[in-house]
Amino acid sequence: MNSRSLMLLRLETAATEEIGALTVFPISGGSFEGERLRGKVLAGGGDWVTEKPDGTFELDLRATLETDDGTLIHLTFTGVRDDENHYFRTLPRFETAAPQYAFLNRLLAVGIGEIRAEGPVHVIEEIL
Amino acid sequence: MNTRLLMVLHVNVAAPQNIGAAPHGTRRTAPIMGGDFDGSRLRGTVLPGGSADWLLLRADGVLEMDLRVTLRTQDGAIISMKSFGLRHGPPDVIAAIGRGEIVDPGKYYFRTTPRFTTGHPAYTFLNRLVTVATGDRRPEGPTYTIHEVL
Repeated sequence: MNSRSLMLLRLETAATEEIGALTVFPISGGSFEGERLRGKVLAGGGDWVTEKPDGTFELDLRATLETDDGTLIHLTFTGVRDDENHYFRTLPRFETAAPQYAFLNRLLAVGIGEIRAEGPVHVIEEIL
Repeated sequence: MNTRLLMVLHVNVAAPQNIGAAPHGTRRTAPIMGGDFDGSRLRGTVLPGGSADWLLLRADGVLEMDLRVTLRTQDGAIISMKSFGLRHGPPDVIAAIGRGEIVDPGKYYFRTTPRFTTGHPAYTFLNRLVTVATGDRRPEGPTYTIHEVL
């Protein structure tokens, strides 16, 4: 599959809330950087992470990005975290009203996730 | 991004059910009557009934696709597949597809993101995969070349 780099997304998460098999990771901030867009992650989003009986986690994230030119972008992703197999992949989707970023409304993307000491990092590539 | 071919899926679609201008866009449902899939790790047929592509044509001209199909492997495993996708392209190309013409799939964007669920022990690896597919809309139904994201 052909892909093209879209952004490196860094998320900062606050104290988690555990509700049975569901853990909510509130997003307190973060940043994103790519050739076509860059900016910060606004506080207030979250990742709703459900542990499945096979030991893997289903991710369901909502966040708002603010570009360095003041545009807000709605970001969601679903995905899988399988720690046993070191597999952490997501399917990000974007929505924006800003014409200069309308290309985001029309693409599908894949994220390669990694848990670092400072928080999760996602390398996001556009599917060409 | 590293990927590996998982399978090629072909579905046969029946006449669409045109729901019309709904609050989120123009809705159309394409029931799926059958089909087949083939890859080095799994192959079999698509079951009719509960298999369809729920389509939403957005105001910006992008077609959102919500494909749900039930697969049966040749060794009897039942696998549920759900796949969100996007299709868009130049108006003349999209119009040609609408007329049932064969169009070079390189002339439009047709990509989907299948996820799988199964309880069959031979195929539980599918539960843990994120995959991406390129679509080719043919008059008899689309073909999806599905790649596992490694």
